[in-house]
Amino acid sequence: MADGAVLRLERVSLAFGGLQVLDGVSLATRPGELLALIGPNGAGKTSVLNCISGIYRPASGGIAFGGADITRERPHRIARLGIARTFQHGELFPHMTVVENLLVARHAHIGTGIVGEGLFLPRVRAAETAHRRAVEEVLEFVELERHRHEHVDALPFGMQKIVGFARALAMEPKVLLLDEPSAGLNREEREDLARHILRIKHELGIAMIWVEHDMQMVADLADRIHVLDYGVSLAEGAPDEVLRDPRVVAAYLGSRAAV
Amino acid sequence: MTVPRASGYFRTRYAEDFALLDTRTRKAWAALFAAALLVYPFLAGPLALDLANQVLLGAVGAVALMLLTGYAGQISLGHAGLLAAGAFTTGILFKEFGAPFWVTLPASALVGAALGLIFGLPSLRLRGLYLAVSTLALHFIVIHLGAEYETKRGFSTGILVDPPSIGGWQLYDARAWYFVLLAAAAATVLFSLNLLRSKTGRAWRAIHGREAVAGALGISVHRAKLSAFVVSSMLTAVAGCLFAYFRGFVSVEAFSLFLTIQYVAMVIIGGMGSILGAVLGTVFVILFPYFIEWLMEAAGLAEELAAVVFAVNYSAFGLVMILFLVFEPQGLVGVWRRIQAWFLMWPFKQKPLAGTK
Repeated sequence: MADGAVLRLERVSLAFGGLQVLDGVSLATRPGELLALIGPNGAGKTSVLNCISGIYRPASGGIAFGGADITRERPHRIARLGIARTFQHGELFPHMTVVENLLVARHAHIGTGIVGEGLFLPRVRAAETAHRRAVEEVLEFVELERHRHEHVDALPFGMQKIVGFARALAMEPKVLLLDEPSAGLNREEREDLARHILRIKHELGIAMIWVEHDMQMVADLADRIHVLDYGVSLAEGAPDEVLRDPRVVAAYLGSRAAV
Repeated sequence: MTVPRASGYFRTRYAEDFALLDTRTRKAWAALFAAALLVYPFLAGPLALDLANQVLLGAVGAVALMLLTGYAGQISLGHAGLLAAGAFTTGILFKEFGAPFWVTLPASALVGAALGLIFGLPSLRLRGLYLAVSTLALHFIVIHLGAEYETKRGFSTGILVDPPSIGGWQLYDARAWYFVLLAAAAATVLFSLNLLRSKTGRAWRAIHGREAVAGALGISVHRAKLSAFVVSSMLTAVAGCLFAYFRGFVSVEAFSLFLTIQYVAMVIIGGMGSILGAVLGTVFVILFPYFIEWLMEAAGLAEELAAVVFAVNYSAFGLVMILFLVFEPQGLVGVWRRIQAWFLMWPFKQKPLAGTK
């Protein structure tokens, strides 16, 4: 996987006090690739995403994005470079409508200044119109047009997760980090999500690192799987190989099951 | 900006999404309201005119605080200090250099912006109560400097400021002031609404309680916080400048911590996260003491309570604030929205859906 990687983690370690959360994790992903990151609870999956998006700073190791070192960059700089993410619990802006939530994600793309905005000059008007159009395209992509003006806290949880997903997409990222996007979704919503993920992969060519607990979804969709256990990389490879790997089975089901 | 509520109204252009007034009905109401505001000073008596002037002046400061606290979620107790900074900048420039209005106004704005930047810095590290305490420092520093100036220069009772002349037009009477303050309040409201429907306002709302998420979406949290402090402080200092001219007198006594509490009350009673709320809250807080006085007179207790009228006022004010916090956290604007929803739903008696605004 060395060639053409857009995002690469090299021996990333992270510790909180005496707790080793990540221990020398290395992984990489290419454009248009869907890399699933799995592991039992507390394996450090979300911590990997938090390191990439700059919320945590690794104790050692490096993270490179498109050739640039982003290990110690601030979160908003990393986001502006083209790494978007979703959050496990949606983390939407509750007092905003769906459209407003997505417009926030356009922040880095909007070049208007505060004085011009205060006077609402014609170019601010033009920018607002253009970015609403961009947001509308994303809404169409995830089929949320009907709910565009609803306040997100009035939406059912499954739909809120899709809004969070759309918000990340509205950033027009090169890499998309998905933190358990299917958690809390019903079967139908999961199928929609799977469809969206495949369309992003095939139509937009965005690299995705996908933290997921639904093994069926992972087995069906992922190009590759990276398994973490207690902060250590356990296995990496094609889904059917990895999911049969005795060490992976042991990590999930306990060691006797592997024997 | 606004959410379509009624049926039979469809938007066909993106610009309609961020229009301040979208339907013809709303435009008509707004025009009617504007006309009423313009006619008001010719119909109102001296007291009603003075009250209107106080409300208009207060609204500038309240909207400024609403941007900072109600939208960006940054608590500040330095509001009276910032008003004082604007008022003293104006007073000192006038007294020492005979500076005209068109110099003192931008100078006050500049001082306000600088103070906002400096006292916004702690917000990068502190949150909530700790931030509130750090902004108190601003209050005491400005008040201390103002008092020092007063005593050093021998203006121990305060600085007298002559009425300004705007375009060769001396501002003496209340009616002229009304139009100046109306213009200032309208400009502040419009400027704020414009910011809120574009990038900066969305960033402010995004950092409100969701800093990590805002960062992950490409918003510089530091920049958003500091810009909120700078814009809010600048507008507040402008209000302070107008205050100096309007009262014709600048003294530290006018800028007690109670003034800060009053502005915080305007924002809370009006309804957090709403410009309309800031204005409604200002009307309420300014008229409230007059209302209490009127009540006391109507009850025939004016004589008996004359000695404790301030105590009665303060305690009634405190009580009302607690009642709002407990029973109507969305403030007056929440009441207003429920009235609207009631008419919208009539004759059906459903409760409005949760989360609808």
